[in-house]
Amino acid sequence: MTVEDLSVPAHWRRRLTYYRLVAGRCKKCGRLHYPPAPACPYCGSKDLELIEINNKGKLETYTIIYSAPGKSRGRAPIIVGVVNIEGLRIVSELTDIEPEELKTGIDVEPVLRRMDEDTNKGIIRYAIKFRPVLVPKSEERG
Amino acid sequence: MSNAVVTGTGILRVRRQYSKSLKDLAAEAAFKALDESGLDSVDYVVVSSSLSYTEIGQLGLSGHISNYIGLTGVRSIAVEDGEASGLAAVEVATYLIKSGVADNVLVIGVDKLTEFTSGRVYEDLQKINDSELFLLHKIGHAGMAGLLMRMYMNRYNIPRDELSYWPALMHSYAKENPNAMLRFAIDPLAVKKSLSIADPITLLDSFPLGDGAAALVISNSEVSRGEGLAKIKACASSTGFTNPFSQDDPLKIGSLISAYQKLIEMTGLKISDIDVMEIHDSFTITAMMILESLGLSKEGEAAKDVANGKYSKDSRPAINLSGGLKARGHPIGATGVYMIAELSRQLGGVFEGVSLNNASKALAIQINGFGSSSRLVLLERR
Ligand SMILES: [Zn+2]
Repeated sequence: MTVEDLSVPAHWRRRLTYYRLVAGRCKKCGRLHYPPAPACPYCGSKDLELIEINNKGKLETYTIIYSAPGKSRGRAPIIVGVVNIEGLRIVSELTDIEPEELKTGIDVEPVLRRMDEDTNKGIIRYAIKFRPVLVPKSEERG
Repeated sequence: MSNAVVTGTGILRVRRQYSKSLKDLAAEAAFKALDESGLDSVDYVVVSSSLSYTEIGQLGLSGHISNYIGLTGVRSIAVEDGEASGLAAVEVATYLIKSGVADNVLVIGVDKLTEFTSGRVYEDLQKINDSELFLLHKIGHAGMAGLLMRMYMNRYNIPRDELSYWPALMHSYAKENPNAMLRFAIDPLAVKKSLSIADPITLLDSFPLGDGAAALVISNSEVSRGEGLAKIKACASSTGFTNPFSQDDPLKIGSLISAYQKLIEMTGLKISDIDVMEIHDSFTITAMMILESLGLSKEGEAAKDVANGKYSKDSRPAINLSGGLKARGHPIGATGVYMIAELSRQLGGVFEGVSLNNASKALAIQINGFGSSSRLVLLERR
């Protein structure tokens, strides 16, 4: 099964994962997990709440994928990073950045972007990607 | 309780096999193992294959393979745990013996990665990761390895070339192993220059795509009457995080640490007792993470240790004398069965490649992806 094969309901069910950064927070141990699960992966508690973590974060590591799987080969190179937001690490595509500009430690922010299109099912897929936070010119000089 | 003994092994060279089907490969390995054990039939067939459904569109694989190899009427089951399927199958077979359900079990590991284009295979391998999270983003197996490798290099300030000694060491062993896919030596400096797959991962950091099958006959020691290559001393496994970046330290494989702890509690094992290991080096970085998770190398020092010869064939434990996933090859669901067949032959003194004298304890380690589960099998000379 590929994402191209995902049924319309399967894609719809994943909308919180793909379109909004909604994480689970454990009320027992306080830890965040993403995407939300029915039990806390750290302590097993089922006393959980959903929170949106739509904030900027820091780029912890990245890779530039040249051998992209399947039908996304045409989109290569695909830049993927691990973004740390308040201790929660999100693995996501990066956008509006060129391979030579990549550096760990930079600030990045979430943005909704078009991923691809399934012409058979008439679905255009979007997903959260991360882009560098622009540094104002004055700050850059200071 | 009965002891489980490896009484037969069948290993096919990992390679592109255009003229043979998945079932043909399974049959060839199975017949070799049965011949070696001197048996015509078994009580139970355990099949390990991870990609057979997408490769040949076959469900109910254990029944179809058993019928194809003339074992109609035996009991059978298929086992799947992604990349760790092979050791999962060995674990199930061992319990079938130890519980007294079966006296002789045939384990067959088989997968065929060259049936389609590499793009299609990379798409299949992507499913090793949590598909809920990663399918849309096209972050494949190598992509996850690339993220981890850069994190490792940055954190410990490790130059690229220092990590290249691992693939070079694996190729030096594979050169001597007639069943390895990549039977040639490489210069460590060639690794950086090879094709970039998921920067900083290059083609030479990664396992090759090949077809393979391996088989084992595992028997009750009372039935096999002193015959056999090696005893299966213990199996231990653990689940872990489906996403390594959910762990406090993504560079430690939590499920491996947990499984290893269980093995120590079960057997009183010390790592210094082990003569030879086969570890799951899907990528150079996976090998480093395994060596450090087991405490064989200190944090951030595995690459330097490899470069300085700490894991040469003369040290103990000697590691991946087969050439490892890197150079023997990694036909996904078959790999763990290869490991047990190779280590049993090491312990029995009949391994065809670089071999040790008087090895008495061997350990096989598999991981799915970067730790959704980890599995260990401890073997002893008979
Ligand atoms: Zn919790």
